[in-house]
Amino acid sequence: MTPPLLSVRSLCVDYEQRRAGVFGSRARTLRAVNDISFELAEGETLGIVGETGCGKTSLGKAVLQLVTPSAGRVLWRGMDLARADAATMTKLRSELQIVFQDPLSALNPRMPVGEIVAEPLRVHGADMSAQERRAAVADMFERVGLRAEMTGRYPNEFSSGQCQRISIARAMITGPKLLVCDEPVSALDVSIQAQICNLLRRLQRETGIAILFISHDLSVLRYMSHRVMVLYLGRLMEIAPRDELFENPRHPYSRALIEAIPEADPERGPLDIADALRGEIPSALDPPSGCVFRTRCPIATPECARTRPPGEGVSASHRVACHHWREARSQPL
Amino acid sequence: MTPLLEIRDLTVRFDVGDAELTAVRELSLVVAEGECLGVVGESGAGKSQTFLAALGLLAENARVEGSVRYRGREILNAPRRELDTLRGRRIAMVFQDPLSGLTSTLRIGRQLEESARRHLGMNARQAREKALEMLQTVRLPDPKHCLDLYPFELSGGMRQRVMIALGMICRPDLLIADEPTTALDVTIQAQILGLLAELRRLANTSVVLITHDLAVAAGLCDRILIMYSGRPVESGTTREVFNAPKHPYTAGLLASLPSLATDPATDLPAIPGQPPDALVTPRGCAFAERCEHVMDRCFAERPLLGGTRGRHAAACHLVSP
Repeated sequence: MTPPLLSVRSLCVDYEQRRAGVFGSRARTLRAVNDISFELAEGETLGIVGETGCGKTSLGKAVLQLVTPSAGRVLWRGMDLARADAATMTKLRSELQIVFQDPLSALNPRMPVGEIVAEPLRVHGADMSAQERRAAVADMFERVGLRAEMTGRYPNEFSSGQCQRISIARAMITGPKLLVCDEPVSALDVSIQAQICNLLRRLQRETGIAILFISHDLSVLRYMSHRVMVLYLGRLMEIAPRDELFENPRHPYSRALIEAIPEADPERGPLDIADALRGEIPSALDPPSGCVFRTRCPIATPECARTRPPGEGVSASHRVACHHWREARSQPL
Repeated sequence: MTPLLEIRDLTVRFDVGDAELTAVRELSLVVAEGECLGVVGESGAGKSQTFLAALGLLAENARVEGSVRYRGREILNAPRRELDTLRGRRIAMVFQDPLSGLTSTLRIGRQLEESARRHLGMNARQAREKALEMLQTVRLPDPKHCLDLYPFELSGGMRQRVMIALGMICRPDLLIADEPTTALDVTIQAQILGLLAELRRLANTSVVLITHDLAVAAGLCDRILIMYSGRPVESGTTREVFNAPKHPYTAGLLASLPSLATDPATDLPAIPGQPPDALVTPRGCAFAERCEHVMDRCFAERPLLGGTRGRHAAACHLVSP
């Protein structure tokens, strides 16, 4: 059996925070990603959603080895990326690409955009002539909806939506197999978001690329993803196919997130303050015992403070980490 | 009846080097007593500049023309002392980034008390009680403890609650909330929007909600003003604007928003093109180049936001020929 394109197993990411004290510096460990496992197939988009500090960005970076995982494994076509030597990793980088939230800060302001897009080819496509590179860049510009004659201009001459197209062109030019998109439309104007969503989906149809789509916006995420993973304070709460998650969420946090989405519907009115999820997100430096969500959970019991709920299978494709997911459905939130 | 706030033909220009940037162009709007007006637009639409200009809060390189009346009295270019009694006491502002609206070196309690003493003439004990009461009203957890904290010790959602408490402490007639939930997580956003709705009910304060997020405006506002490139392009009740948008820009925005009902199998109907450059003043309609219904006339002649006051209107040659 061929291994899946990407398989992430019990991945953890730690950050060390040093604090100067009277008796020398003390190190505290912040676990940003805690025991996360999932798989991703070719041509598939897995949406990753969660609020500040849930670990979604760290997870995306750890998959690409841009931060070093402290435990767990990232298997790319069955190969452990942590064990790949430098030469192999450099080669693999052409298959693994990323697009960031703020397009302008992701582009070198002193470089013409044509060169920005050509740079991955210089690193990875050593056997290409300058002329072939130029042709490839011009072709890539057209594919992301920019005109080929714009290659000589600098990033500041473009709007933020166009800059995001340039970022996407740079990521796509080496023909990657996996694209990590970290809040790719969050910094864009509303009228531009739809353009970029459509572009990413078209590129996926054309190339069969797999996408990890990280977003805090559930409406955008639902539109972009085949499957959705919900994170909270570094832990996986629920993972399920898109329709299953939105129509039949089992975790109280998933349900709260879906409830909290504002809708452009004046008949709905504001969320009643009594229905909104209570409290604040706890600090990741000092997460609650047991289930990390229990301090805000409307159905938490003493059991939730004692033991961490294991990930249980609702079905073959639907996993949830909640002690009470069986009862939770009938409970009002 | 005299409206609470009436802005007429407001134009805001900035000198930037040797060029001139027009942020707001001949904008008129009315905020009635007790109502919530949503001012919606993308970055650069001029929505924040409109209200900063109205309250005399713009930078030195700004030039403001037009008229801003508060309860019938002209306040544009009013003397500083008059504005100072108005701002904070009668009209309060809440910003997107609560850190920039709070003083970072003063405890939360002190900042609230200062406002109560200065604007409401309370003594120290009364002001302390008022500060505590306000933190309870905005449902800050453990309000007594919070009085002694500095802004940096609070989370973003808690800071925004403090900002709202600070804005509401004098029971202003008008609260101008500029993207109050944009920096917040969705579940915290829902809490803050619920809180604003509740405060409106309790204190009958008029609210201007400045936002880029149509969905946020839909939940809270009675009326909506859509802005594009410094101009109002559509105004009406929230139901009218959302259920039967008249301007192609409004319709395009609403259609391009993915919602929970969007079919993921189809492309989003995106508005083509980019928002216009504020340094260029178009002769006709600023949206013409992106509009699917564009006619020759749209490039030559600027459409005006027609209709009588309070009626559903759009600045578009299609609707007001």
